Amino acid sequence: MQFRKSKPAPGVFIDSDFSTIDSVLAVALIYGMQDKNECRMVTISMSRSSLPAAAYLDVVERFFHGPAGNFSQLPAIGMPDRGAPLATPAAYVTPLKRTKADGSPAYKVQVTRMVDTADPCTLFRNYLEAQYDGNTSFVLAGPATNLAAALDFRGLKPLIPRLKHLVFATGPADGNIRADVAAAKRIFAEWPTPIVVAREDLGASLPFPGVSVDKEFAATSPDHPVADAYRAYKTMPYDAPSWAMTAALYAGRPNAGYFKMSDPGVFSIKADGTLAFTPAPDGKHQSLIFDPSQKDRILADYVQLASAKPVPPRRFFKKVDAEDPKDDAAKADADAADAKEAAEPAVAKPN
Amino acid sequence: MNKGESLSKAAAAVSKKTLGRRTFLRGIGSAAIGLPFLDAMAPAFAASTVPGKAPVRMAFFYVPNGIMMRDWNPKEDGPLGELPRVLKPLEPYKRDITVFRNLTHNTGRALLDGPGDHGRCCGSYLTGIQVKKSLTQIRSSVSFDQIVASEIGAQTRFPSLELGMEDARQAGDCDSGYSCAYTNNLAWRGESQPLPPILDPRALFERLFGTGMPMTPEERARQSVYRRSILDFVMNDTHKLESSLGPTDRRKLDEYLSSIREVERQIERAEKDNKQIDPHMDKPYGVPADFADHFRMMSSMISIAFQADLTRVITFLVTREGTSRPYREIGIPDGHHPLTHHRNIPELMEKVSKINTYHMQQFAGFIEKMKSTKEGDSTLLDNSMIVYGAGLSDGNAHLHEDLPTMMAGRGGNYIRSGRTVTVRRETPMCNLFITMMDRMGVHVENFGDSTGKVEGLDLA
Repeated sequence: MQFRKSKPAPGVFIDSDFSTIDSVLAVALIYGMQDKNECRMVTISMSRSSLPAAAYLDVVERFFHGPAGNFSQLPAIGMPDRGAPLATPAAYVTPLKRTKADGSPAYKVQVTRMVDTADPCTLFRNYLEAQYDGNTSFVLAGPATNLAAALDFRGLKPLIPRLKHLVFATGPADGNIRADVAAAKRIFAEWPTPIVVAREDLGASLPFPGVSVDKEFAATSPDHPVADAYRAYKTMPYDAPSWAMTAALYAGRPNAGYFKMSDPGVFSIKADGTLAFTPAPDGKHQSLIFDPSQKDRILADYVQLASAKPVPPRRFFKKVDAEDPKDDAAKADADAADAKEAAEPAVAKPN
Repeated sequence: MNKGESLSKAAAAVSKKTLGRRTFLRGIGSAAIGLPFLDAMAPAFAASTVPGKAPVRMAFFYVPNGIMMRDWNPKEDGPLGELPRVLKPLEPYKRDITVFRNLTHNTGRALLDGPGDHGRCCGSYLTGIQVKKSLTQIRSSVSFDQIVASEIGAQTRFPSLELGMEDARQAGDCDSGYSCAYTNNLAWRGESQPLPPILDPRALFERLFGTGMPMTPEERARQSVYRRSILDFVMNDTHKLESSLGPTDRRKLDEYLSSIREVERQIERAEKDNKQIDPHMDKPYGVPADFADHFRMMSSMISIAFQADLTRVITFLVTREGTSRPYREIGIPDGHHPLTHHRNIPELMEKVSKINTYHMQQFAGFIEKMKSTKEGDSTLLDNSMIVYGAGLSDGNAHLHEDLPTMMAGRGGNYIRSGRTVTVRRETPMCNLFITMMDRMGVHVENFGDSTGKVEGLDLA
């Protein structure tokens, strides 16, 4: 009764300051794709410190993941313990205070102290060690503070090339760059994997349909932490720009044709903190380009995925491709594990 | 190979009103008994790491298959209140213990290696690296206790001691493709050099006080005819020493030698009872069938070894990782490992808690002895760091975070004990190791996946 050794669905890390509601929607979107076994949430981390926001994200993680079970870990929320703290949006505090009709809290708060969270770089390192080469993406939807620190973190830099790519949503007015220019400069100069940038105009062109919060989300659960936060973020009704969602959608479904891709090149940060792009055939950087023909499809998928009913924890292993000899071996392992499981009594013995 | 002074040299030292710390009582054959810290040695402790202070010792008591965490974790951080069920036997000593929360061994997790949590968690426990999944190509790393032993081991008769109570097999498949070398050893001298534990109390006794060469059953039988104690062999030296000691030291020496004699008697009793052991049981000659007896003998010798400063580094694999040992003596005929996969069935969970508590009861007996052994103005326990823990937290879910970790002792009156210390989630267990190494006088920047020391342990 243990893990099978076969290739899991692609993993996604998400790191954001969660200063805007689209980052929470991006988390829901990734879980929606996880439910379809198209990808797998690895960890959620914050680039700025806010205990209430961490507590809220922990509630979201538990809502989608369910409780930790056998061989099914529930990762800690990553949060830095230094740097400028985040002025916590009411969107994250309000749901935690909400009560049900019977007076009981709508959500159980389990993160109440700094020790209930993890250092982001330790979290990245520990979970990146468990990823196959090229099978995981990193979505950055906040300042690059944690990722710049990751470049110097003991034992982490050699693992970064395991990532397929970094998808960087630069946010409104490239605010995620301006929030930590030095970190962004390092990322564009030193990050070892390809970087795909989702700029402000992309998210602004694809506003999340807020009306779905009281329809699809409400139908999924009367106590939906994402819907509660959306309602508390701004006076309803409103459609939120989807900066982080664009990055998450591309990370989870890179081949779905939602976006056009720029030619390759190199991004750099100018003296005034703005982003510059220099085309180069061997450049590792690209940007996502809005494709008006895909707008309706994307918005429909946003709603369908982000509001999807959470699926109970399961093993995230895909059918292996028989054409790949490595996968043949993995399939044989998996089959052997299945046969062993079937033959074993309910209580396993290690030998 | 005995290091240290004989009593003839020591006599000279005594005449100068001091007694060498590494004085041995020697006798017929190769019997050699180290001495505890006596008042007559006080200036001699200047040879220890900190002038005028007793040396700091460290030991690891490893229990397998995780622990029932609901019965382990104290309810709150900070000062320890009423101890939870598994820790309850330590209630009289709760001011001397520190419970750590949230320490994690990421290298024990599957990462990309599939099944085998038991093999991995034990193999990585003191080495801090992910061991190679193999039955034949053993690859681990130097364990941190051996780094300490190599740095300070020359100061004692034995750089380190490796003890256990169950299975010393070094080959074969002990968990899903992991060699038994990983589940049956804690200490590693090199990446493919585990240090197998001594299981037999007689072998350990002979190592500590004799030639270090275990006798055959026939040789033991011949010796038993004469019913001679190791103390008989060193009687002359003992009398000489006693005559030069003050009354307090004479009492200390008498208590110490009595404790050795008591262990010797226990071993003799176990050897006599050996005939009654089930012939199908895979136990070496002289190893007691009763878990509590065995534990008492081994742990008594640990305290004697520390008391006499024979070594400052000990690892004790209480039972091997993944063991399916039953505990009939407390009414549990089921195997330990199968029980830990309890599937949240209350009856099975109760049995696991009972086993965990039983282990802790034995450990409490050892702590009592360490605490009652005076060493200068403090106790042997005050000058030690005895870590009790496991490589899995929840044995049912095979979790590698929030590992059950408790330290008894104050590491030389340094650690502010009597409380729970909670670190951030995912904090590497190796952070505790480098903190302990520092306390042992071995200063390293990194070990395993460490990210820094555990802060705030000290009395400052």
